[in-house]
Formats: sequence, structure tokens, C-alpha cells
Amino acid sequence: MGLLVFLLIPVVAAVLSAVAPTRRDMENANIAGFGVTFVLALLIAARVLRDGSVSLWDGFLYADHLSALVCLLTASVALVCSVYAVGYLREDESSGLLDDDARTAGGRLSPPVLLPSDEHRPPAAAKLRKYYVLTPLFVFAMLGVALANNLGVMWVAIEATTLASVFLVTFYGRVTSLEAAWKYAIIGGVGLSMALFGTVLVYYSGHRVVGMETLAGLNWSVLAGHAAQLDKTTMRLAFILALLGYGTKAGLAPMHTWKPDAYSEAPAPAAAILSSAMLNCALYGLVRFYILASRCLGPEFPGRLLLIFGMLSMGISVPFVLVQRNFRRLLAYHTIDHAGIMVTALGVGGKLGALALMLHMTYHTVAKSLLFLCAGNVSQHFKTDLFDKVKGGVIRAIPVTGAVFLMAMLAIVGMPPFSLFQSEFLIVRAAFGAGHYVPTALFILFGTGIFAGALLHVGGMVLGEGQTGGTACPASAWRDGSMLALAAALVTMAFWLPAPLLELIRGAAKVIAG
Amino acid sequence: MDFLHNPEFGDKLVTLMAAFVLVFQIAMVGQRSLIMNIRLFGAQSFLLAAIAAVIAHYNHAPHIYVAAVMTVLVKVILVPVLLERLVDRIEIRHEIEPIVNVPLSIVISGGLTLVAYIVGESFYHPETGAASLGHNTLAVAISVFLIGFFMMINRRKALTQVFALLTLENGIFLAAICLTYGMPLVVDLGVFFDVLVAVLVLGILVYRIRETFESMDVSKLRRLRG
Repeated sequence: MGLLVFLLIPVVAAVLSAVAPTRRDMENANIAGFGVTFVLALLIAARVLRDGSVSLWDGFLYADHLSALVCLLTASVALVCSVYAVGYLREDESSGLLDDDARTAGGRLSPPVLLPSDEHRPPAAAKLRKYYVLTPLFVFAMLGVALANNLGVMWVAIEATTLASVFLVTFYGRVTSLEAAWKYAIIGGVGLSMALFGTVLVYYSGHRVVGMETLAGLNWSVLAGHAAQLDKTTMRLAFILALLGYGTKAGLAPMHTWKPDAYSEAPAPAAAILSSAMLNCALYGLVRFYILASRCLGPEFPGRLLLIFGMLSMGISVPFVLVQRNFRRLLAYHTIDHAGIMVTALGVGGKLGALALMLHMTYHTVAKSLLFLCAGNVSQHFKTDLFDKVKGGVIRAIPVTGAVFLMAMLAIVGMPPFSLFQSEFLIVRAAFGAGHYVPTALFILFGTGIFAGALLHVGGMVLGEGQTGGTACPASAWRDGSMLALAAALVTMAFWLPAPLLELIRGAAKVIAG
Repeated sequence: MDFLHNPEFGDKLVTLMAAFVLVFQIAMVGQRSLIMNIRLFGAQSFLLAAIAAVIAHYNHAPHIYVAAVMTVLVKVILVPVLLERLVDRIEIRHEIEPIVNVPLSIVISGGLTLVAYIVGESFYHPETGAASLGHNTLAVAISVFLIGFFMMINRRKALTQVFALLTLENGIFLAAICLTYGMPLVVDLGVFFDVLVAVLVLGILVYRIRETFESMDVSKLRRLRG
């Protein structure tokens, strides 16, 4: 029952936010909902650590170490972002950003009305309600991805994450947000249709072995047990389709074009969730297919494909990071790079590769969501997303954000002592050990390029000379508190990983590598 | 009334209807009027529902009837009505302007059908017996899927890309029906729900793109670069 309650809490939060009379009630519903979700995620992780796996309704919902880790990461990001969103959206509201659509052509766009009672209120109220209702639904879909045992239901949940977040991308109602949302919805939809075809093929190759009479024929836990008997030709095609489909959702090159747009248009807390938790969910889907494929075909075939996409994603992001002028897009290209890194780790495979993947996923989630929160602070203070207009001096105008931004940037480009150095080093070691010399060399080369580009831009923005005043926006305990909490987690993880979390990560790696 | 219980007759019926599904798909590639495109999509979905019902009858698999009924409700009635309303609301006067001209598009569709037959052949295992009606029907399903992709690339207007996406989904549904006699019911219901929500979401976006840009030409969406 625990799993069901866990899954339904965000839905309850969404319903409460939909009927809440005031802004404060919506905020409370969100924070309380995600707070409870986080506690339940901890409890589920604890039960998984104790019992190995948890399932409900004949394994319809199923959590092993891998799902518990993804749930825990999703729930923590959601909680931190919901606290941050309170400060962020209040600032947006008081600075008049939500009131009218001054930035749209002709100002004719109006946000969709979710409740009839919002029709006569100022547009800001409707926009806030949209955010506070859609975010819990988005989180619900992501938790559904991690807990669905049935690969078809997992697909439905991943598609639902796109549908729930499209209107978060159009939040500000700008002309550019529409463009971003359109690309996001269409590219995501086409990509996922391939993944659905892949799922059909898995069902086809499975139903001869498992039997087709029930729902269980598509259950991952059942298929994984019979993976060796699955039809090889079918599984090969199924894996390619799933890689293209869930790879699109994860933003692997060359299917990455929606990513910088969507991340730079969504409000900062939503962008933080998109770039960390949703990336994890897309990779999670891919990992489930990888496990089936590698047990059926051996790790060679899926591994080689994953390495190609990983290298391509890392390689494509380098020039875009080097010439980038917008810092939120810079972070988006970083996410493409890190999706590539994680896919590379999966492609290298073996016990070491799987462990590196899981460690990297955990560290990346913390660091990348922190970066988007910092970027949100900077863009609210300077009212721009462009390096040119900020012109340095973040550290003097908003010292706390500046310091944390720089620290998180150092962490994400893999600077020791931060933990991403550790996981990336582990990937290099695993790749070299497995004899993938060319990918290893490329990995280091691309990593250096990203390192240079990111430090050049963000270092200049934070430390450089430039305007010091900005149009100061008042410091907010909501925004700074949530940012500092994540920063504290990042610093702590550099030196010490709690033993149960490490055990969960090891368990997840074991699920992958067998 | 012998043919009602003769599975071979069922197979032939399914193959015939699948051929018409392909014909409708290619007609959509060639058809330039938006309304006709929507009706062709409705007709294609209706054939899919009929195929599902025939398979349900001859294989005594009652859960496929549910999928058939859902197809009629969602894809034959609800989605076309919503799309036609949208076309009315945004008052489109222009027709579809494909990037590649119509005759060449149809030749390309033919080529894609050939590719689909080659791919479909590799799944044909007559010795196992299971899902042997897959053979022809699967090739049709794959060609519908591939032609849907081609339509997606070949069209500039936002709304017409939505049709392309919907036909992609039709191709997958046909593949699922002929390979495995349909996905498990829960999955099917979930997919239908997603399709419906996706049409609503994309419809709202199309409407707002039209309002803002005075056009649905997605090639005008080019402010975000780099």
C-alpha cells in the first residue's frame, strides 16, 4: 500500500492546489505534498534496502534499488524546487512579470483558464495556479515512470511527463516560449512513438516465452527473468527503437534540439526539475531496456550503440558551450553533455560502469538543479539571461548566489574535490579498463572543452568587472534557503556519502550489471 | 454462415482492410485539403477498429473489443471532431504546402512501403505459428509508421504535423494488434488517454501559435538559436 500512497500524494497536492482559494494555500499544498512525498521516498528506500524489492498488485507497481533511487532523487528535487518556487514566483508576481503579456506580440496571449473562478482575476493568479497544479502532476508522472513494472505503463507515464510539463514551458506566455513548447511537444511525441513501437516489439518477443494471457507479459521483472530466451532479432530492433525514443526524451544528440529552448523558457524551478529529475526518468527507461537487451544479446550490441550516442552528445555540446551567450542555454547544453556522459557509462557497462552511472546520476541531480536555481536568482536580479548584459559582478551584487553559482559550476565540470570528479574518473577508468581507448580519449577531450567553456563564461560573469547594482530584487529566504540547502548537500557529498545512500546506489548498479 | 467461424476468412479480411489502411495513409500524403486529411484519418482509424474487432472475433479475445470500441470513440469521433473545430476556429484558408511536391511524395511513400516489407519479412517465422497473420499486416503497420515520419518532415504547418503524429500512433496500434493481438488492456487505455491529452495540448499550442504569428508555419519559429 505504501507505494500507492506514495504515488498518489502529488495528485492530492495538485487537486488541493486546483481548489485552493489563495496563493498561500497553493504554496502550502505544494510544499506539504512534496514534503510528505520525500519522507515516503525515504521510507520506501529503507524498505527496499531491507527486503530487496517492494511490489503491489501482483507486481503492477514494483520498486527495486534502481527505482527507489530514482524516486528518492525525484522527490528531493521536487521538494527543494517547491520551496524555491515560492520565493521565485512571488518575486515574478511583484515585479509584474506575470501580470500582462507585455512581451508577446500584440499582447493577445492569455493563459489557459483552469478554473472558472480565475477568469475574473488578474492573469497572474491563473498563471500561478497553472504552475502549482501542473508541477505536482509532473512529479506524479515521473514517480509513475520509476514505479511502473509494466513497460507499457512506463511508456504512458513518460509520455505523461511531457504532456504535464508542456504548459510549464509556456508559463511566461512569450513568443519564444510557444516556440520552445512546440518543439518540446512535437519532438518528444515523435521520439516517444518510437519507444512505443519498441515496447510493442518487446511484448511480441516476450509473449511467446512468458505467455500472453495477462498484463504480466510486459512486466519488466518477468521479462528480465526470461531475457535469455527472448527472440534476438526482435530485441535488437526493440532496443534501437527504445534508445532513439527515450534518448530523445533524455536529449541525446542529435535529438537534443528541444532541450536548450525548453530549459531557457521554463521558470527556473521547473527548469531545474526538467534538467535533473526528468532526465533521470528518461535514462531510467533506457536502462530498463538496456538490461533486457544486454541479457538477451550480450552487452556488446547495446553497449556500442550507447557509446556512439554518448560521444555524439558530448561532442555536440562542446562548441555550443564555448560560444554560448545565454547562461540558461549554457546549462542546457551542459545537461546534454551529462546525458552523454551517463549514456557512455551505461555503454561501457560492467560493474564499474554501472556503479559510475548511478553515482553520476545522483551527483548530477544535486549539482544541476542547484545551478538552475542559481541561474534563476541571477536572472531575476539582473532581469536578463545573457552574459553580455550581466557583465560580471554577480559576486558583488548578490554575493551568496555568486559564490554558490561558481562552486556548483566547478563541481559540474568535474573539479576535485567535488564528487562529480569521482564519478567521471570512475567512468574513464571503467572505459579504459574495458579497452574502449578511442571513447576514453574523446571523453577526456570533450570534458576539457566543456571545462574551459563553462569556466570562461560563468567565471567571467560571477567574478568579472561590470555593473554592480542591477535592479536589485529583495533577498528571499525561500530562494536563498533552498539554494543553500542544495549547496550544503553538494559540499557534503564531496567528502561523505551516507552509508544507506551508498548502499542504495550499489544496489541499483547491481540491478544493471547483474 | 460458415465463414463466420473460418479463421482463414478472418485473415484475408484483415489483410484486405490493412491494405486500405495503407491506401488511406498514402492518400493523406497526396491530399492537400486539411479537412479531407482529418476525414481520411478518421476513416483510417475506423478501419483499425474494424481490424481489431475482426481479430477479436476470430481469436476469441474479448479484451480486443474494448480496444476497438476505444478506437472508435477516441480516434474516429473525438479527435476528428476536435481537430475540425480547431480548423474552424483558426480559419485556415490555405491548404497544406508540402516541401516535396505531391507526385514525388507518393513515390517516396512507395519506396518506404518497400522498406517496410523488407523489415517485416525478418519477423516472419511461419514455423512457430504464433501471430502468423503478422506477415502482411505488420509490413503495412511499419509502412504507415515510416510514411508518418515522412509526413512529419515534409510539412511545415503546425496542425499538419499533428496529423502526422497521429498516424504514427495508428501504425503502432496496427503493429500491436497484428503481432500480439493487442497490448494489455491497461496499456491500451493509457495510450488512448495520452493520445487524447496530446491532441488537446497540441491543439492549444496550434491555436496560440496561430494567434501570435498569424500563421501556422513552423519554419517561422526560429527565434531560439544556438
